[in-house]
Amino acid sequence: MKNTKKIAAGTLAAVMAAGMVGCGGQSGTGSNGQVNLTFQIWDVGQRDGMQAMCDAYTAKNPNVKIEVQVTSWNEYWTKLEAAATSQKMPDIFWMHTNEILKYADNGMLADVSDIVETDKFSDISLSNAQGSDGKLYGVPKDKDVICLAYNKELFDQAGVAYPDENWTWDDLVTASQTIYDATGKYGYMAYADDQLGYWNFVYQNGGYILNDDKTKAGFTQPATAEAMEFYINLQKNDWCPDQTYFAEQAPGAAFLSGQGAMYLEGTWNFLPMLQNNPELNGKLAVAALPKAPSPASGDGRATISNGLCYATAANNKNMDVVKDVLKFFGSEEGQRIQGESGAAIPAYNGLEQTWVDAFKDYDIDVSICIPMFEYGVQSVNNASRPEWKTKVSDELLKIYSGQVELQQGLQNMQDIVDQASAK
Amino acid sequence: MKNKQRGNNMMWGYIMVGPTILGLLILNIYPFIDTIRLSLSATKAFGAYEFVGLQNYMDMFASTEFWKATWNSIWFCVLTVPVGVFLALLLAILLNANIKGKSIFRTIYFLPMVVAPAAVAMVWKWMFNAEFGIINSLLGTRIKWITDPSIVLFTCAVVSVWSSVGYDAILLLSGIQNISKSYYEAASLDGAGPIKQFFTITIPMVSPTLFVVLIMRLMASLKVYDLIYMMVDQSNPALTDAQSLMYLFYRESFIAGNKGYASAIVIWTVLLIGVVTAIQFIGQKKWVNYEV
Repeated sequence: MKNTKKIAAGTLAAVMAAGMVGCGGQSGTGSNGQVNLTFQIWDVGQRDGMQAMCDAYTAKNPNVKIEVQVTSWNEYWTKLEAAATSQKMPDIFWMHTNEILKYADNGMLADVSDIVETDKFSDISLSNAQGSDGKLYGVPKDKDVICLAYNKELFDQAGVAYPDENWTWDDLVTASQTIYDATGKYGYMAYADDQLGYWNFVYQNGGYILNDDKTKAGFTQPATAEAMEFYINLQKNDWCPDQTYFAEQAPGAAFLSGQGAMYLEGTWNFLPMLQNNPELNGKLAVAALPKAPSPASGDGRATISNGLCYATAANNKNMDVVKDVLKFFGSEEGQRIQGESGAAIPAYNGLEQTWVDAFKDYDIDVSICIPMFEYGVQSVNNASRPEWKTKVSDELLKIYSGQVELQQGLQNMQDIVDQASAK
Repeated sequence: MKNKQRGNNMMWGYIMVGPTILGLLILNIYPFIDTIRLSLSATKAFGAYEFVGLQNYMDMFASTEFWKATWNSIWFCVLTVPVGVFLALLLAILLNANIKGKSIFRTIYFLPMVVAPAAVAMVWKWMFNAEFGIINSLLGTRIKWITDPSIVLFTCAVVSVWSSVGYDAILLLSGIQNISKSYYEAASLDGAGPIKQFFTITIPMVSPTLFVVLIMRLMASLKVYDLIYMMVDQSNPALTDAQSLMYLFYRESFIAGNKGYASAIVIWTVLLIGVVTAIQFIGQKKWVNYEV
């Protein structure tokens, strides 16, 4: 019997050891003062830029090693939550506006207010890195806006003038119709999406998705409802594919293959698009979003502006080193390296041109994106967003497929957000 | 002396089954109990939870989305199991016949089982694409295979049957090959034709294997997730008409972060599978023949 116990204990120990090896997150300090850090990101297109930034830091601090790890967007949040639950978060990781409140408000993220040069970042960049208590839980990384991507070739074929900053929704519709009539290709491709879709139209029209203190939704507000109706009904035109089409091919893919002339795209995607699809060079062009013709308030301009930040765990063991790295990431030097790599527009004010210059090998002028930050609207978010996000998008799909009437659908969305936000 | 021998034997027995039992306890039993506990809790982010009794179950039974998903799972079973098992049996008999290149055919039919389900779904998804897919262009139709709410589950069922039929056929084939030739010889001496032989010898003799295949296929169909997840995007307007229980579980648990409610869905699925399997075990007495 003694033997049995010993063997059982041995097996148990082996199993447990194997389990522990399986989930190493934070790296530790080596014997010779060497600090090994892990840095988790989700965008493979930005790996080189992030690596360049880490190399610049480690060149000056040879006792620090940083390993950049890429996990796909879908797995990233499942993994990070599991890591946070078991107190094994990576040393440095990207944080997204969608999730930051959940992590910050539950005490998972370290307060980094003391290392951020707040006068160098825009209010939107800072609020994207704030917890509900107003403290900074991340160092602003980049900023983005949503732009109108269009295919110059199709515009030329149809003899339509390129979009400019004076375009309104009406021009968007007219141009789409003309392109469809002349070339048989789709015009503006409007599909079920929030950040890359209806949110922009709602704010242009003077409506809102969440009210100022983020406690109530605005789906039933007249200006919001009007914009939603306009946006959803775009699919009723011949020149716009319907939602079943987009369920099978992403609008980006349809654009790439020349099936449609326009769609909304975020600034973060333009460089990877051109790098991965050289044939787009000379065809792809960017314009400011068309404005609402008769907004309930404002001048009809708006674009959703989001931004990521770098964060670390509240219980990180190498806090001093990690904060020093984060400080460098948020400094002018670190942000400049990021911008020059073309990874994203640096959040640091005044470095926008570094990102524009990263496109010098391509026949495209992206400088048009920069002035759009002036009328950017912070990406919609509150602490219960993870809870209502999919439910609202399901409801939107029901409106598109005709299972629910528009007014009823908007009311349902309103109820979903209000109930989730009230908890 | 004898007692000691016996104890020794038992000890070795425990040592042999020990690792398996340990694995079961850690990987199956403990998570199962934990799931029951979770299903009675309201979960918050990062593993925090609070006991709420049957609240999750009450919410679940009041949700139309949940009943729709239950119905979708059952309907998916109805679409895949009878057809799939019948085709597998047919295939097994054909593969058992004396034809040229028998082993090549066996390999070909088994291949789908070797391919990763995600890859299978990706390829089929392209073939079923309404705009550019090969199926619509061959048929000359514009059927929205994946996005029409009334068709989407049929499409998924076709892919599911396609990918499982080879495996089931190989299992059944092994059952058929175990049947002694002398039964058939005796039957043909008595004047029984091939059809008569099939129903009076092959079916009864292969029925234990058939029963196993049926049970496995039913369980797999009720638990279907990866195939539908890959075929039906979350931007698909037919999502609610294709969403199986496990898909709903995934969305509640990992996207909405509602692990307590999601656990209630899992427990419901376990009960559903349990009931269906129990019915099968009772029903088998009528048709499964264990005498050789």
